[in-house]
Amino acid sequence: MNELPMAKAINEGLKSAMTADDKVMMMGQDIAQLGGVFRVTEGLQKLFGPNRVVDTPLAESGIVGTAIGLAMRGYRPVCEIQFDGFLYPAFDQIVTQLAKQTARHEGTQSFPVVIRIPYGGHIGAVEHHQESPEAYFAHTAGLRVVSPATPHDAYWLIQDAIASSDPVIYLEPKSRYWHKGPVDLEASGALMHKARIAREGTDVTLVGHGAMVTVLHQAAEIAAGEGVSAEIIDLRSLSPLDYDTIVASVNKTKRLVVAQEAPENASVGSEIAATLTERAFYVMEAPVLRVSGFNTPFPPARLENQYLPDADRVLEAVDRSLAY
Amino acid sequence: MPYTDATLRLLGQDGALVQDDRVEKYTQAIAHLDEGDFREFFRIMSVVRRFDVEAGNLQRQGQMALWVPSIGQEAAQVGSAFASRAQDHIFPAYREHCVAYIRGLDLIDIIRMLRGVTNGGWDPRKTNNFHLYTLVIASQTLHATGLAMGIGYDGACATGDLDKDEAVLVYFGDGATSQGDASEALIFAQSFQTPQVFFLQNNHWAISVPVRVQSRTPLYERAAGFGLPSVQIDGNDVLMSYAATRVAMDAARSGQGPHFIEALTYRIGAHTTSDDPSKYRDEDELKFWQAHDPIDRLKNHLEILGVEQSFFDSVATEAEDYAADIRAKTLAIEDPPVEDIFRNVFIEDHPVIIRETAWLKQYGESFEEGA
Amino acid sequence: MANFTFPLPDVGEGLTEAEIVQWRVKPGDHVAINQVVCEIETAKSLVELPSPFVGIVRELLVAEGDTVLVGSPIISVEGEGPDLAPDTGVIEAVADVAGSVSSDEEAPQVKNLVGYGTGASESVSRRRRTKPPAKGSVVSAPQTTPSVPVTEGTTVLAKPPIRKLAKDLGVDLHAVSPTGAAGEVLREDVVRHAGQATVFKNLETPAWPEIREDRIPVKGVRKAIAQAMVKSMFTAPHVSVFVDVDATRTMEFVKRLKASPDFANIKVSPLLVMVKAMIWAVQRNPMVNSTWTDDEIIVHHYVNLGVAAATPRGLIVPNVKEAHTLSLRALAIALEQLTVTAREGKTSPEEMSNGTITITNLGSFGVDTGTPILNPGEVSIVALGTIKPKPWIVEGEVRSRMVTTVAASFDHRVVDGDVASRFVADVASVMEEPALLLD
Repeated sequence: MNELPMAKAINEGLKSAMTADDKVMMMGQDIAQLGGVFRVTEGLQKLFGPNRVVDTPLAESGIVGTAIGLAMRGYRPVCEIQFDGFLYPAFDQIVTQLAKQTARHEGTQSFPVVIRIPYGGHIGAVEHHQESPEAYFAHTAGLRVVSPATPHDAYWLIQDAIASSDPVIYLEPKSRYWHKGPVDLEASGALMHKARIAREGTDVTLVGHGAMVTVLHQAAEIAAGEGVSAEIIDLRSLSPLDYDTIVASVNKTKRLVVAQEAPENASVGSEIAATLTERAFYVMEAPVLRVSGFNTPFPPARLENQYLPDADRVLEAVDRSLAY
Repeated sequence: MPYTDATLRLLGQDGALVQDDRVEKYTQAIAHLDEGDFREFFRIMSVVRRFDVEAGNLQRQGQMALWVPSIGQEAAQVGSAFASRAQDHIFPAYREHCVAYIRGLDLIDIIRMLRGVTNGGWDPRKTNNFHLYTLVIASQTLHATGLAMGIGYDGACATGDLDKDEAVLVYFGDGATSQGDASEALIFAQSFQTPQVFFLQNNHWAISVPVRVQSRTPLYERAAGFGLPSVQIDGNDVLMSYAATRVAMDAARSGQGPHFIEALTYRIGAHTTSDDPSKYRDEDELKFWQAHDPIDRLKNHLEILGVEQSFFDSVATEAEDYAADIRAKTLAIEDPPVEDIFRNVFIEDHPVIIRETAWLKQYGESFEEGA
Repeated sequence: MANFTFPLPDVGEGLTEAEIVQWRVKPGDHVAINQVVCEIETAKSLVELPSPFVGIVRELLVAEGDTVLVGSPIISVEGEGPDLAPDTGVIEAVADVAGSVSSDEEAPQVKNLVGYGTGASESVSRRRRTKPPAKGSVVSAPQTTPSVPVTEGTTVLAKPPIRKLAKDLGVDLHAVSPTGAAGEVLREDVVRHAGQATVFKNLETPAWPEIREDRIPVKGVRKAIAQAMVKSMFTAPHVSVFVDVDATRTMEFVKRLKASPDFANIKVSPLLVMVKAMIWAVQRNPMVNSTWTDDEIIVHHYVNLGVAAATPRGLIVPNVKEAHTLSLRALAIALEQLTVTAREGKTSPEEMSNGTITITNLGSFGVDTGTPILNPGEVSIVALGTIKPKPWIVEGEVRSRMVTTVAASFDHRVVDGDVASRFVADVASVMEEPALLLD
């Protein structure tokens, strides 16, 4: 078992995919010689050449639009959008084009484009560098959306995403890039859209994705000390969502708290709350509670620790849930 | 006067060939064409125009939500389409019905799209790589550029074999040049030196906004600013359209990078059947362009060549028959099955699609027959 | 020869109507396909409409200057030629949407594709369903698998309001037998379970005695009770009346009193409210508060309220003197004192005499109601039974309410049916709405 930081795990995953299929290629700003601003693509151009690891002009819409054309040509492009806050110029190409091309072509062609986006907070960065745009993509039919929480999942999910015949948004929790974790290079152990039980428990189910899973672990540890047994589910996939795993857990615990960095209003967490209410109505002993970023623009970094849900905020919701 | 000193043409409106040293290489480019080719140009322009009129009537009769007329732009489209080679990829905007016809599309498929039966309508791989219509303005310029990049990566161009080397021809309008995607496409094209020709049909109007609002300089100059060899042509001259495209496409496919053609033409009709040009256009301007009609120009040239009236009559008959056939096919179009909502959203199985498909089925079955 | 009508199309993506500006043909004219038949003005522009048919114009269905809804037939044409296949199978679609369909409903019409969405949906009716969703059915949610795979053992299925009800009533959901279609606990299950739980039960069952008989001498309190019962029962013709009442507000009032600092450390129960109700009802129906003698009926204008109390020696009826003068708080204290004294066996004869009306609390034994025997010297006795959740109709809907039966027995020599009924109704009305005591 290897111990790798997530950035390296993704690097290895990309390497693996590019080795296995020479139609896989990468495009983005600064990904070639520099190896990406987070060094996720370090060394890849040396290995695979400038035609397969391509530095593009500074134009996000251009990156995704040309990737679509390359997919039409039979390539499997993996685009990197440098930062979450800068994906929006590409939003039109993602939503009106990439998401709809398969349907528009009535299934006669596939568009196996992966868009990698570092996202989320906790790195003290300036404006636009700590966003959580998951909901926009989860809301768009035609896209698949995944986000690993661990280096092991990062290694395997990027390969699953590349292998998929459908467009995939691959969200990389940037605050986890340099944290090490075990990576089984032989077996994934899970399907792309399957959620993972990260910790077993009986009193309340905690659901999250990406960097939030770390916070959930912290909260669960503290809760255990207070006699509350929390079960943690790492979503891994935001669209489609693995509801079977969540419902089975809530059947057991009867209580659900969903945590996310993203602002609450119209979020993925809200979708989970609505669906679980429908599917687990008869067993729930408390309403689904959401712990989210506040409904404001992401604040200046000095305030991010008060903005982003931490263990205390998660536990506050757990307390509320148990009080019902 | 929409033409500039830079505008190149081979044919005058009277049908006579123009004397101009600047068009020397273009004259060479049509040297291999003969009267049979010109008749074919005429036939296609006439048939597709008649198709266009019929489609407009069908819309007025409630058969389509919308029709998008190409009337007035036939020469720009027919010339350029013929100039591309069989192995090329064509990216239209949404008004290139002549190009579609030439590439082998059954034009009923365009009607199916505007009728709301499909959002695509055909498989590019079965229509000689004539890609789907793109309704988001200028979006296709990036797709075309990406595909052209792929041709480069494949090594499928610049081998020296004109019949094998591939290139991409992308159509867009004057309005589209203002979209960011169009500029980004030009940037990527010149950065990666793609085998690609950007064919701008400047039909002078983006719905009700005249081209002078999009640009204070002639649009072919903008491309030059991005580093692409660029030319402005009289788009109502089918021979010039052919020649310029032929030269540019063959240069692009031969490793000389992307090229740009601005074809000056005019949208004789409305933007679509929902539009009313009388609210914003000058009668005099329309009259000018009607006097420069592309089909008339070619007819004049054919007459100079001595083509007999019976040919023109037979084309008119063929056009009528084509229109009647389209009418019959349109009236026979059936609504798509409700399952089409869910089909092909993804290639691979998706639980939400599976669930909702099943739900709608049981929901539909829960109603009494005929209710 | 077939008759065709042309409905007004939506020519501009979402238009709902148009004005006929000018007809270019008239009845009797021959018209070709695509020949312009009229000019219309829409919100967006002037548009010429080409004929979809070839034939002879039969009728112009609308006039110049008329504004017509999209979908309305505007012209009928008698078609010619067998090659013009009428567009069949379309009539329902057009008939559904056109505000007024032409009389020729059998006539095939040109299928109008668009323009129905906005204006034409005047009378929308609901499609008839063959299988209405089962009420509260778990399976009605859009999914292919059951929403809740019921796990054995600890999982109780119940909707949130039912869980709250159970909590409020102190019912353990696990102990309730569910009768819901999906195995869930329903409201009535909880109510039923709560009702069962309040029935008085002996917690212990003693062993059979070894001797065959016990012989208890008739003396003392037992003798006195027996004599009083016989005297009362066989001199006064007893009649009993009953009324069920929703006592929820009394229960809520009692709850508030218990929480009030004024009543701290004072025993408060529904009995207190019923006693107050009786006093008020006596004020309104004085005859019930009297004594029969052979010569005269003495109507007392004071209330010495007797409360049947269980003692170690048997049932006695001490009374609260001048109960009608006591405040709620004083009454509560007096009742409590009375009960405590009785339990200690220290009730004095003076306390047990000169009662004017009595209440007996059967509810403390878990009994719903009964036919109490009059205390000798009195003509009325009221019985308070259990107060328990029962289905009740509130504003047309079945709800769980705290229901009790107010019962009373009367001496029919003094109290006739109407007085008896009015008295009992008065007591019950206060149980239903204690605020009446604010009168």
